[in-house]
Amino acid sequence: MTRPSEIKPREGSVTGTTYKQYKEGQSLGPITFDITPEICDEYFDTLQADRSLYVLDGRQAASPTVLLPYMTVPIYQTYPPNQGIVMAELDMQWSAPLWADELTTIVATGKVLRKFEKRGRHFVQWEAIFCRSDGSELARLTNTFHIPE
Amino acid sequence: MKRDIPITQNMIDGYGRINGDNDIIHYDHDYALKRGFRGTLLHGPHMTAFAAELGARYYGAEWLKRGHIHTKWVGPCCPGDVFSVTLDESGTLEALSGGKVVLAGSATLNE
Repeated sequence: MTRPSEIKPREGSVTGTTYKQYKEGQSLGPITFDITPEICDEYFDTLQADRSLYVLDGRQAASPTVLLPYMTVPIYQTYPPNQGIVMAELDMQWSAPLWADELTTIVATGKVLRKFEKRGRHFVQWEAIFCRSDGSELARLTNTFHIPE
Repeated sequence: MKRDIPITQNMIDGYGRINGDNDIIHYDHDYALKRGFRGTLLHGPHMTAFAAELGARYYGAEWLKRGHIHTKWVGPCCPGDVFSVTLDESGTLEALSGGKVVLAGSATLNE
């Protein structure tokens, strides 16, 4: 099992990244981690989810958004976070179910797409792709956040 | 369709345990006030995940194979608020909290 806290630098425990330090085009990862049935179960609890909505052909799937607690791993491993980052936008799509009854090894990669200032705030936009260990894609996302400075 | 979820600090802490962050804007009330918010903040991806369950309800099994969710977090949701999210037939998502829109976006299926 890989808990996000094991692979995600935590705010306050490392020197955070300033806006200036983010580089557009910077590649992120690859980072490998395991999503286990225990994580899928704990995640269902945090969502107060109806597990029956996530059954496919009689088999229990995970919530597709179970990847979200791992979302920032690729960017935070390259650019450790400072305190007070506020998430602004997310676009996420997935192309295959992730099963809740087995361990899934995920390989995450990504790229910093752009950084920009808007209404006095400093934003960073980046993308991530999450694949199984055999290279087949599970999900991809684009995330935008702003950094207090 | 609609989900109404009363938000507590315990729920935010629970998401924080699995999320593994230590961003005090979610856990330190005084810090959140200093940053100009009404209180600590529900994690944005937690809001998205609450909203995504409406996609599972509406689209059924296809949601698990080719779902697509887009969310903008446009306002804070704090402990004591009710996070009230709706999904309409066109796939438009909207969530209110404390009487204001806090999330806007869509939940659709890819081709």
